[in-house]
Amino acid sequence: MPRISPAVARAAIVLCILAVWEITTHLSSASRILIAPPSEIFWQVVNILATTSNVPKFYPNAWITIQEFIGAFVITAALGVALGFLFASSKLIGDAFEPILLVLYAIPKVILYPLFVLMLGIGMVPKIIFGITVGIFVVIFNTSAAVRQIDPDYVKLAYSLGYGRLMTFFKIILPAAAPTILAGLRLGFGYTVIGVMAAELLVVTDGLGSLIDWASFNYYTPQLYGLIFITLTIGVAGNSLFSVLERRWVR
Amino acid sequence: MAIIEATSIRKSFFDAATGRETVILDNISISATENDFLILLGPSGSGKSTFLNIIAGLTPHNGAPGQVRVHGQPVLGPNPKLIAYMFQDSVLLPWRTVIKNIEFGLEAQPLSKEQRRKRALKYLDMVGLRDFADYYPRQLSGGMAQRVALCRALALETDIILMDEPFGALDEQSRIILGDELVQIWRKIRRTFVFVTHSLTEAVYLGERIAVFTARPGKIKTEIKNDLCRPRAIGSPEFNRMVDTLWAAP
Repeated sequence: MPRISPAVARAAIVLCILAVWEITTHLSSASRILIAPPSEIFWQVVNILATTSNVPKFYPNAWITIQEFIGAFVITAALGVALGFLFASSKLIGDAFEPILLVLYAIPKVILYPLFVLMLGIGMVPKIIFGITVGIFVVIFNTSAAVRQIDPDYVKLAYSLGYGRLMTFFKIILPAAAPTILAGLRLGFGYTVIGVMAAELLVVTDGLGSLIDWASFNYYTPQLYGLIFITLTIGVAGNSLFSVLERRWVR
Repeated sequence: MAIIEATSIRKSFFDAATGRETVILDNISISATENDFLILLGPSGSGKSTFLNIIAGLTPHNGAPGQVRVHGQPVLGPNPKLIAYMFQDSVLLPWRTVIKNIEFGLEAQPLSKEQRRKRALKYLDMVGLRDFADYYPRQLSGGMAQRVALCRALALETDIILMDEPFGALDEQSRIILGDELVQIWRKIRRTFVFVTHSLTEAVYLGERIAVFTARPGKIKTEIKNDLCRPRAIGSPEFNRMVDTLWAAP
């Protein structure tokens, strides 16, 4: 029996699901308001991207959301990794702050979003800040775990070879912690995206969330599916980018 | 003139909670000359590894009146220009290839990139691993990894090389083979080797002088000169006699 590669099997599974989806939508009597077949969704996506659909101002809104993703993630990454290092290197600070962080992490922050809007107004800022609050925890936890789990022998080796603290950081700590930190960034990106989209849907002003809200409010279901698909793609693209980085580093 | 001179070294931990002092090393005095092959032999917990760390400057001792001097200068911290240290497990950086691992040892020194590469290749040749220069540590066996660690230590071109049970995690055959290679390298480069082990066989096989440690608190029971001719035959009568002498030392 010939060897089937996992990639081929995966593609086959996806195609089967799409085929079943397509056939059942055409055969069933469910209204087009409830479900759209993949073929129609595909054309909707093409139309939306070509601005020939009735989705209002797609590119300006998409750009707003993408800016929010990037802004939220850059701050999440920088602040999260920095705090992770801080908590791992100082026992006092780490022990003091981490229980607080764990409690904050456990709160369903979604319920706090209206407060954010009250304090930060309507615009990109509350959405970005909210995205950060959702995504930063996993980055902090992964980074501090990564640094704590470094084999102390590596540090001892660097010491015995005459390395100073700065060189030890760049040549030992950073490379040793990188795989786990990258995993944390990958998850953090996903959570940040979720946070930003949740904010856009909770208090609808602009961005892809507002378009999704417009489509569902008006029962433009195919456009809704199309917009959801586009938003998903952005999220998946970010995740894949990090997976590639992780794999390249771990070699 | 002794290249390493340790006098009255004491090392203990004081537990403030119980008010108890745990003595690891008690009044250790020992020296090593140039081109010596000194063995620190003792059971687990006898403080021999701690003592090696003290010589290397990785751990402090209790202070005066004890002192450790290398080339007449007191040891204040690690000095990779004078002392190279080999760990019990190879501690190779998994994200670097074999040759980059050896160059890592040299990157804290004022050497150019070409000089580092030249030295790394020279000592890779010496341990016979030139063909594995671009392998990653995970692709190496235990014996090969320790050879790389030895190579890293040799590449520092220091007068003294300290080794903390480097063959402890290897199988018997690898231990003997690597032991042979180590002796050959020692004769070739004529440096001072200080080697920690708990194996009587290894001590007699490798060492020129053997210092026998007792269990905690670590004291030196005796120092024996091993003048068996090389190559030494494990299991031969004179070999066994030497082992008995070590075992029965007062």
